[in-house]
Amino acid sequence: MSRIYIVEDDITLRNELKELLENSGYDADALEDFEHSKEKILASDADLLLLDINIPHLNGQMLLREIRKSSDMPVIMVTSRSSESDEVLSMSYGADDYITKPYNPTILLLRISAILKRSQRNDTTLSYMGLNVDPAKGCISNSSTEIVLTKNEMIIFRHMLDNRGNIVTRDELMTELWDNEEFVNDNALTVNISRLRTKLADAGLENVIETRKKQGYILK
Amino acid sequence: MKISDFIKDRVHTYLAALICLSMSAVFLRAFKAPLTMSLILVTIGVITFLFSELWDFYRKKNFYNTLTSQLDMLDRKYLISELIERPDFYEGGLIYDTLYETNKSMCDRIYQHNKKSKELREYIEMWVHEVKLPVASLQLMMHNHHDELSIKAAEQIRRIDSYTDQVLYYARSEYAEKDYLINEVSLNRAFANTAVKYREDILQNDIELETDGLDVNVMTDSKWLEYIFSQFLANSIKYRSSERQSIINISAENREKSILLIFRDNGIGIPQKDQPHIFDKTFTGENGRVHAKSTGMGLYIVKNLCEKLGHSIEVSSEKNKYTEFRITFPKNDFYRM
Repeated sequence: MSRIYIVEDDITLRNELKELLENSGYDADALEDFEHSKEKILASDADLLLLDINIPHLNGQMLLREIRKSSDMPVIMVTSRSSESDEVLSMSYGADDYITKPYNPTILLLRISAILKRSQRNDTTLSYMGLNVDPAKGCISNSSTEIVLTKNEMIIFRHMLDNRGNIVTRDELMTELWDNEEFVNDNALTVNISRLRTKLADAGLENVIETRKKQGYILK
Repeated sequence: MKISDFIKDRVHTYLAALICLSMSAVFLRAFKAPLTMSLILVTIGVITFLFSELWDFYRKKNFYNTLTSQLDMLDRKYLISELIERPDFYEGGLIYDTLYETNKSMCDRIYQHNKKSKELREYIEMWVHEVKLPVASLQLMMHNHHDELSIKAAEQIRRIDSYTDQVLYYARSEYAEKDYLINEVSLNRAFANTAVKYREDILQNDIELETDGLDVNVMTDSKWLEYIFSQFLANSIKYRSSERQSIINISAENREKSILLIFRDNGIGIPQKDQPHIFDKTFTGENGRVHAKSTGMGLYIVKNLCEKLGHSIEVSSEKNKYTEFRITFPKNDFYRM
C-alpha cells in the first residue's frame, strides 16, 4: 500500500483529504503541527508528498527546496493561488506535479496514481496474464496473436491494469478519458468497455473484467 | 499664439494709443510746435510703443506655444505643469501656479485611488484564496459521502466556484498590469483541463464535443486561456437549443502568422441587435433576460483578458442557428527566446 503524506494547514480540508485517500486504498498520514516540518516530512519516508503552498511558518516552495536537498520523494504541490509564477517556481524547485484548489477529487487521485506509477516502475511495457501490453503502439499481444486497441480502449485498459484487483468507477474512467482529450459520453464508455471485453476474449482472456453494479468494474 | 490673436486681444490698448496720439497731435498743433518736433515726438512714441508690444508678444508667445504644444503631445494631460517653466509675466505666472497646484492635488488623488484599488485587489485575491478552502473541503466531502444529495450539492458548489473565479479574473483583468505569464500552451491540454471540469454538466445536458486540429501550441497564459474556455463552455451549455442535438465544435487553424481558434455551438444564437454589445460590461441582452440568468460579466472579462494577452476576439452568430467565437493568437518568435 502506498503511503501518502499530507501537508495542509486547513484542518477540515486535511481530514477530508485523508478520508479520500484512505477510501481510495492509500495509507494517508498528515502533518499536524508545523514546527520542524522538514524533519517530520523526511522522517515519514512516504511514497508521495502532497504539499500545500501556504503553510504556517514556512513557504511551501522554500520547504520543497529544502526537502529536495536531501530527498527525491515525489511531490505534488497544492495551492489555491492559481498564478503561473507559482507553478513555474514550484516545478523549478522540483515538484513532480501541481494542482490548484479546489480540485476535482478524481483528478487528484489520477495524478497521484500517475506519479506513483512513474516513480515505482521504469519499464515502458506492461504485461497482464501472459499478454504484452504496449501503450505506445496501442496493442496487446501474446505469442500467437496481436490485437490493436483504440486509443480509448487502451486508456481504459491501462487504468484498470494500474488498479488491478480494485474497483474502478465509471467516473474515474470518464475523467481519465476526458483528461486525455477523449470527450466521450456514457454510452460510448459502455460500448468501449464491451469492445475491450471482446478483444480480451479474442486473446484468450474471457470474463476478466467484472461489472460491480452501481460501483464500477474490476480487472481480475 | 499667432500675432493676430495677440492683436485682437490688445485692440483696446491700440485704440487708447491712437486716441492718445491724435490728441497729442492736436495739442502740438494748438501750441504751434514746429512740425519737425511734432513728427519726432510722434515717431518716438510710436516706435517705443511698437517695441514694447513686440517684446510682450514674444515672451507670451514663447510661454503659450510651449504650453499648447506640450499639452498636445502629453498622454496624461494633468502632468502639464511638469513640462513648462514658470514665465516672468503676471498672468502666465498665475496660470503656471494654478496648473502646478491642480496637478499636485490631482496626483495626490490618483495616488490615493491607486492605493485603494490595489488594496481592494489584494483583498479580493486573498478572499478568493480563502474561500477556495471551504469550497475544496465541500468538494471532498461530497466525493467522500456519495449520495443523491451530494450530487445536487456538488453542482451548486461548482457554481460557487465559478462565481469566485469570476471575481478573481475580473480583479485581474481590471487592475493587473502584468499578472500573467506568456508560455507555449497546448490548446488540446488547456481545453481538456476545462472540459473535465464541466464534464457532468456537458453529459447531463447531452452535449457532444467535437475537436479538430487542437494539437498546436499557442503563446498565451494557460490559466487565463482555461478561464476563457470555461466561459465559452458555460455559455454554450446555458444557451443550448432544445430543438436539436447540441454540438460544440472547437477547432484550430494554423495560419502563416497566427493560429485561429474557432469555438462554435449550434445553440440559440445571439440576436443581431445584441451582437455589438455582448462584450460590454453588465450587458445581458435578450438571451440573458429570456433564457438563463446572466451577469453580463463573463464575456466582458474574456474580452479584457484577450486584450491584455494580445489576442483578438470576434463573434458571429445567427439566431436559432449558431454562435461562433474566434480568437487569433499571433505567432510571435519574440516570446520563444
